[in-house]
Amino acid sequence: MAKAGCKWALGLALLSVVPRVCAAQERTTLGGYGEVHYSNPTGPSTPPVVNLARFVVYLAHSFDARLALRSELEVEDAKVEGGAAGGEVSLEQAYLDYRLSDGLTIRTGLVLPPVGIINETHEPPTFNGVDRPGFDHDVIPTTWREIGIGAVGTMPGGGGLVYRVYLVNGLRAAGFSDAEGIRGGRQEGRQASFANPSITGRLEWARPGWKVGGSFWYGGTADTNTAVGTGSFGAPVTLLAVDARHDVGAFALRGVLAGISVSDAQAINAAYGQSVGSRIAGGYIEVACNVLRALAPASSQKVDAFVRHERYDTQADVPVGVTRDRALARRITTLGLTYKPTWNTAFKGDYQLVRNAAGAGEHDVLSFGVGYQF
Amino acid sequence: MNGVLAVLLLVAQQPGAPPGRVAASLTRLFGPGARVDTLRVDSFTVMRVSRADSLLGFAAVGNVPGKDQPITFLVAVDPADRLRDVDILVYREPYGGEVAYEAWRRQFRGKGTGDSLRVGREIRSISGATISVHAVTLGVRRLLAQLTAWHQSGAIQ
Repeated sequence: MAKAGCKWALGLALLSVVPRVCAAQERTTLGGYGEVHYSNPTGPSTPPVVNLARFVVYLAHSFDARLALRSELEVEDAKVEGGAAGGEVSLEQAYLDYRLSDGLTIRTGLVLPPVGIINETHEPPTFNGVDRPGFDHDVIPTTWREIGIGAVGTMPGGGGLVYRVYLVNGLRAAGFSDAEGIRGGRQEGRQASFANPSITGRLEWARPGWKVGGSFWYGGTADTNTAVGTGSFGAPVTLLAVDARHDVGAFALRGVLAGISVSDAQAINAAYGQSVGSRIAGGYIEVACNVLRALAPASSQKVDAFVRHERYDTQADVPVGVTRDRALARRITTLGLTYKPTWNTAFKGDYQLVRNAAGAGEHDVLSFGVGYQF
Repeated sequence: MNGVLAVLLLVAQQPGAPPGRVAASLTRLFGPGARVDTLRVDSFTVMRVSRADSLLGFAAVGNVPGKDQPITFLVAVDPADRLRDVDILVYREPYGGEVAYEAWRRQFRGKGTGDSLRVGREIRSISGATISVHAVTLGVRRLLAQLTAWHQSGAIQ
């Protein structure tokens, strides 16, 4: 009898404790972001296009107070069909975080190299302009994700420095190109070759209204092609970038600069019949002003009028055997408006002047778009 | 009573913070050696802080949902219901930990329920920490309103 009573008491104790622990710790969260674009380039043979550019589901699960899964599953261009061009279903990120302290979280899985601004913070309401800057396509190849392991956290000492550093699979030189630089070299977690382990990281300083970061990527790209390079760091690519964001009153400023050195561009071009630049460089600066602040000071909505100027060249330097294509030295100026009824929704419109040093194929683009995140 | 219940639903006290963190936070805010009494208002816990019979203020722990994790924070008010400070007790999100920085938290000091606390105006945001900035600002506003209402109604004294 006493035994049974004891069991009963234990059962009660478990009942009262276990649900609270579960409620406090194990949880699944759903989120997402998306964007729809309309773009109309000038010129007779380029009709306007509407596209559901991205629909992303964010799924997170915390297993206990320290261990959490975070993932983004993306559908690009609304539909994927066998044999048809365009469209993509992919994981944008999927990693486990094991949080040991404020100073150290171990992160492993498909992660975002923390370079520049847009690669990690790419939700449409966080940037101006319907499309991401061209720089964040052709120089920093967003959304860039690779598989690896790393550490993130706050630097000790209370100086307000945050770091992230990852060891990930490398790029593959076989995918490099003259116009899009290293973009085609990304492996994106799909049966990726780990022949060239690479390191990438970021150090970031923040204050209210300020964020300044420096980031890098270093790693080989030869994969198994000994004509391109040998060893783990064969045909290395080095990327260095700095970025800054500053908000003051109604104004928001941001800028990014990046330089990429492709050390064995000559061997890469010989092996794959390409004209990859040995140096890729550029950046942009953007100024935005919330005009609603003057017109309706009490409103929490925003109407940001902005101008962004990008300059980048994917053939800033070329190896022996390549003649520089000056049309790759691009200058893009974007003027536009972003209306944000809430901080996580955006209605956008902009006009882009797409120019280059050769004056070839220059055109303008009128775009409209909507975006959200939650 | 209905009002109180409605507010209770908005600020959850679970998950909690390690007692050591709460104690360290109170020491930082009210100085060492202050007396802490635990008051219960319905199922909500409020800490009354005093020294030698004079009231120093009240504090409470709350949670707001961040992107995928609760952010556990502490709000402390002085006897005139002005915010002494905000502390981030447990931060579990992958990004946005800058809300724990003193430079960001100090924007709340001295504010009362009559003051407006809007992100982008009175409270400057931090790029890349937008979700957490909005979440903590909302949580602080609610907990401050709750503590002030209870103090003025005599539910805590």
